[in-house]
Amino acid sequence: MRNPMIDKASDVLQRGLEKAKSQGASAAKLGFRQSESIAASFENARLKKADTQQGLSVNVDVVVGRKRGSTSCTALGDVDEMVDRALALAAAGAAAHFDAYPPPAPTTEVNTYSARTAALKRQRMIEGEQTIVDALKGYNPDLYIEAGASRRETATLLVTSGGVVHRSAATGWSLNAWAQRTEGTDMLFTGFGRGWRDLNEYYDPNLIIEHMLEDLRNAEKIVPAPSGKTVALLSPEMLGMFLWAVQMGINGRNVAKGDSPLRGRVGEQVLDPCLTVVDDPHLNYSNGAADMSADGIPTRRTTLFDRGVLKTFLYDLDTAGLAGAEPTGHSGCSPYSPEVGPGERTHAELLKSIDDGIYIKQLMGFGQSNIINGDFSSNVALGFRIRGGEIAGRVKNTMVAGNVYELLRSGVRLSSDSDPIQRTPYAVIEGLSVSAAPGK
Amino acid sequence: MGRRFGDSMRRAAERAGFRSHRTDRALTLVGSPAFARGVVPHGKLPRKETTLKDRLLEALKGSAADYTEIRYELDDSTGISYRGEEVENVSSSKTAGGIVRACTRGGWGVATFDDPADLAHCVGEAARCAALVGKETTELAETPATDEVRTATFERDFRGVPFDEKLDLVRRYNEIILKADPAIETSQVHYWDCFRTVHFASSRGTYARQDRPQVGVVFSAVARDGAMVQRAHDGARSAVTYDAVLGHEKLAEQTARRAAALLKAPPCEGGAYTVILDPEMGGVFAHEAFGHLSEADFLYENPRMRDLMHLGRKMGPPQLNIVDDGTLDHHVSTQRFDDEGSPTRKTYLIQEGVLAGHLHSLETAAKMGAEPTGNARAQDRRCAPIVRMTNTYIEAGQLSFEELIAGVDDGIYACGMLGGQTMMEMFTFSAAHGYRIRGGQVGELIRDIVLTGNVFETLGAIDGLAGDLRIIDKGGGCGKGGQGAAVTFGSPHVRIRNVVVGGK
Repeated sequence: MRNPMIDKASDVLQRGLEKAKSQGASAAKLGFRQSESIAASFENARLKKADTQQGLSVNVDVVVGRKRGSTSCTALGDVDEMVDRALALAAAGAAAHFDAYPPPAPTTEVNTYSARTAALKRQRMIEGEQTIVDALKGYNPDLYIEAGASRRETATLLVTSGGVVHRSAATGWSLNAWAQRTEGTDMLFTGFGRGWRDLNEYYDPNLIIEHMLEDLRNAEKIVPAPSGKTVALLSPEMLGMFLWAVQMGINGRNVAKGDSPLRGRVGEQVLDPCLTVVDDPHLNYSNGAADMSADGIPTRRTTLFDRGVLKTFLYDLDTAGLAGAEPTGHSGCSPYSPEVGPGERTHAELLKSIDDGIYIKQLMGFGQSNIINGDFSSNVALGFRIRGGEIAGRVKNTMVAGNVYELLRSGVRLSSDSDPIQRTPYAVIEGLSVSAAPGK
Repeated sequence: MGRRFGDSMRRAAERAGFRSHRTDRALTLVGSPAFARGVVPHGKLPRKETTLKDRLLEALKGSAADYTEIRYELDDSTGISYRGEEVENVSSSKTAGGIVRACTRGGWGVATFDDPADLAHCVGEAARCAALVGKETTELAETPATDEVRTATFERDFRGVPFDEKLDLVRRYNEIILKADPAIETSQVHYWDCFRTVHFASSRGTYARQDRPQVGVVFSAVARDGAMVQRAHDGARSAVTYDAVLGHEKLAEQTARRAAALLKAPPCEGGAYTVILDPEMGGVFAHEAFGHLSEADFLYENPRMRDLMHLGRKMGPPQLNIVDDGTLDHHVSTQRFDDEGSPTRKTYLIQEGVLAGHLHSLETAAKMGAEPTGNARAQDRRCAPIVRMTNTYIEAGQLSFEELIAGVDDGIYACGMLGGQTMMEMFTFSAAHGYRIRGGQVGELIRDIVLTGNVFETLGAIDGLAGDLRIIDKGGGCGKGGQGAAVTFGSPHVRIRNVVVGGK
């Protein structure tokens, strides 16, 4: 980092904490984050932009008389004012459901900083992007192609009135591309991206090329979509999207506030028995890796669903107080890095087992419906007809609809192979409603 | 209790320096003290502006790029949220920072900063990045150099409204929703206000300063019947007056009752229907299905897309006119200049059914032989501008609503917006609620209405426009390229044949 500020921030945050306590805060926490990143991006298959970004932010949270106030700023020189504002807001503020931030507790060591990621040069990014562009152009010179790559470095500091003083450092990289094929008024979009905290073997332009070429080849022919209740093969990304709706359901805040359809259902069979979901914040270099929550609570490995049975809701400190539960160390009541356990057959075998169905790679408008209830009705942005166990071609002007909880409740089959970053396998689901425009 | 509570809040706020936000606009413009320190006599706005302007223009002289611009933004905002019975969050933030963008031989370099002490370094860094990238020729449309300050024009400045009054407003709406119907399970009401000042300077000698205030409230109601959960939401937003968020008690109640009514409404059956869009859905259609295709950054480097979207192409019936107008009234997306310093304007995208214009930045205009339209917009100080819509709408037609619906034997009347998304020619958007139409009459309430289609076919299938154009300015915005932007949209009632509607 060109101009590290964390040492200065440490003094400023400690002073802010003392000030908050001396002016009546029963609990307070201050968080600092500094980031620096570089990026390079291609547009229309040629290098177009190089970025250097830096950012700094400070968040202040105070509790006065069981009420909370929150402020934020982008300059250390404003922290004093932000403490004053937070105290003023807390006088009117939001209900606080806890008395104090917890004292320091042992954490599990987890690697989030990679020196080789921090050393990733822009030139290597550009070379990777060029490799992707050349391969896709080699397949079809008429493709419109964009590619992007970046690396970032962050330093964070948390101080709480519970006595926690926690520094952390993290790195991350991303590499992605998308391509557009236009023929008449028909447009096809495909894209794929990777991101991790360590610059390991996942940083591989060829992986992105393989994924995109597979889509482009599968989409060379347009075929009629199936209609009615249909068997569907979901890509790992699509299963991840379905489970995102479920994550909203196990969010303790949504449960305590009455928004979640899973309220009161811990211990019940909610998903198919093949679905075991574990949140593991301690997987080294994963994108969600963290040893401590934003409240200063050590993170822990948590089973969310055991063979389909709902095991727990997720609670941050305040929501735990609201719900009368123990905090689970989940900032924002969301999982860090959920992993779905694998099935027994490869995704290729699952595909072969489908006589007539649809393979969904991308949905458009998934979250536009009543998604917290599990309902969705989405356009198939990229999907393929499966016939006789093989991809028959791309489907267009096709809507799929259903309820995530109903579709994942039974009849689910998972692949033995998973996406290592997404950490979800392929899935086959039954009874997905498909409708298509007549004659399409 | 409420008043005493509010008084103590006000005193506390005044101790915290909030008073300045109500009485002294100059002070609210002071962002990073580091930037202001030593150069700004406290509260003397003209001197500060001059100094800041000079500092930006001076920094630009250090750039070796073909073209360089600096945007520096100061932002002060407040948020109040209720969720269910309780105040969920009260927050305040103050941010400052900027972005330098440079272009050399057609390549762009970007550097962002929070600390103004980094300004000179960032100008150099952006120029170095541009030099690394550029291999061709810099082509940017000419714009007249300008030197202009546009301060906010308020009917009622939200910064003069005591915090406890805002809190009371949110509480009142929340109570109305919670009490509106026994089926209401929970509620969310969110109030926000934000005063942003944007300073823009470019190596062409342009300096522009604009205030971009915004105040709004959104409320949503959640109704439950066993495992069935339904939501409804609505809201209001303004760039000119706090009063715009007042007086929506009836709307809050109607919103809650609609959520409860949707519990009993049948879901829409999938299939192809004649659909009548209300002005909100029609506006979403204009924006989402068609407007994005008109954004020239999707076109200028893409020969096939340029061919597909060539001016003069027949797109719809002769009575169809679609407009983007960054000068329209005083909406949150109305500005004097865009984020490249180009003046905003009214642009016909479709005129009498024919493709008439695109939306441009400096670069897309130059490369497509057009004039800049003032549509280069950035989400905030960390983002480079991209081509965005502003206020996009379908112009009014000639029919009455009754005439429009009279021709529909079996159709759907789609109302309100849950959301919309497009992948160029393919669009999908969700109605908040709707009704069946049978025999030319509006029938029963239905839910889960999601429309999809190919925009070229769908525009061609429009066969009726009512005369009741309405512009929708409330919470929410448009996302593109990872950036959000406040937009408005509008339409009269629109009739479209053979629209695919998703359903179970």
